[in-house]
Amino acid sequence: MMVERYTRNLGLPGWTPETQRRLAAARVLVVGAGGLGSAVLPYLVAAGVGRTGIVEDDTVEITNLQRQVLYNTPDVGTPKAEAAARHLAALNPEVTVTPHHTRLAPENAAAILAAYDLVVDCTDNLATRQLINRTCLELSKPWIHAAVSEYYGHITTLRPAGPCWHCLFGPETAAEPPPSGILGPVAGLIGCLQAVEALKYLTGTGRLLVGKLLVWDALRPGWEEFSYRKNPDCAVCGNRNIPVPPAAD
Amino acid sequence: MQVELKVFATLRKYLPDHPLDQSVTVTVEPHTTVSQLLEKTGVPLDKVKIIMVNNRHADLDQRLVEGDRVAAFPPVAGG
Repeated sequence: MMVERYTRNLGLPGWTPETQRRLAAARVLVVGAGGLGSAVLPYLVAAGVGRTGIVEDDTVEITNLQRQVLYNTPDVGTPKAEAAARHLAALNPEVTVTPHHTRLAPENAAAILAAYDLVVDCTDNLATRQLINRTCLELSKPWIHAAVSEYYGHITTLRPAGPCWHCLFGPETAAEPPPSGILGPVAGLIGCLQAVEALKYLTGTGRLLVGKLLVWDALRPGWEEFSYRKNPDCAVCGNRNIPVPPAAD
Repeated sequence: MQVELKVFATLRKYLPDHPLDQSVTVTVEPHTTVSQLLEKTGVPLDKVKIIMVNNRHADLDQRLVEGDRVAAFPPVAGG
């Protein structure tokens, strides 16, 4: 590990060479490489996260470039996971970036997530978030949720002990909300916060947004923090505290 | 009594007479519920995903008291 690259990490209060080694040993999966992922991915890779996976089945489209600043115009038509991995390898060749050019689905979610310590949700739909929530609970993995729309974005961190995503967002809605306009830097801003939260989690630094929904409204403008608790009747995590009976001999 | 209603993201369009950057002060009867407040202001209940009252998670049945601050969020899926 080239220490010089991480000089400004190592100058942080509480950040030691051991902290940097923890980061080098960490494995983070970023699901979705769009507006949020374009901010999360470079900061994780630049900071020295040892292994970063990218799950994304889309190809780069010209309409993405207004906010998905990880890509360049010549990338149009290229699978996002591959283009992202190529750009990120140039940013920091000391770490590993693994593209998964696929869509996260019930059939592959557990197998993909099992190889990582932390999941960062940069997807663009609620169904995948339900899947991440259930899979992370099954595998006891923490994850960082964020979503953006128009001038608005929010972020919260979910740990296996709860509360879970379903405790706050409840049952699936009948229909996905249609794609809305999005101010590019709002996605970047919230994605940067996800990277901050991920690095804090991986290095054990500071207080995490567990049970807190942090909201940014660019029009008002400002941050606002809302709190939520584990729902004992939650259809997804509500029964997780019931002890599992011992297996019969 | 008066309560404050703040709507986020795509819910803004249901309060077209109010500036984008402001919350709305609404006069309601005592013990009004969150759902009654939303109906009174024209925000469709089926477009609301999360309710917070005074920055804490709440539900549509919660009864409000003077000065409560209600925040309503739609489903937000973008990434």
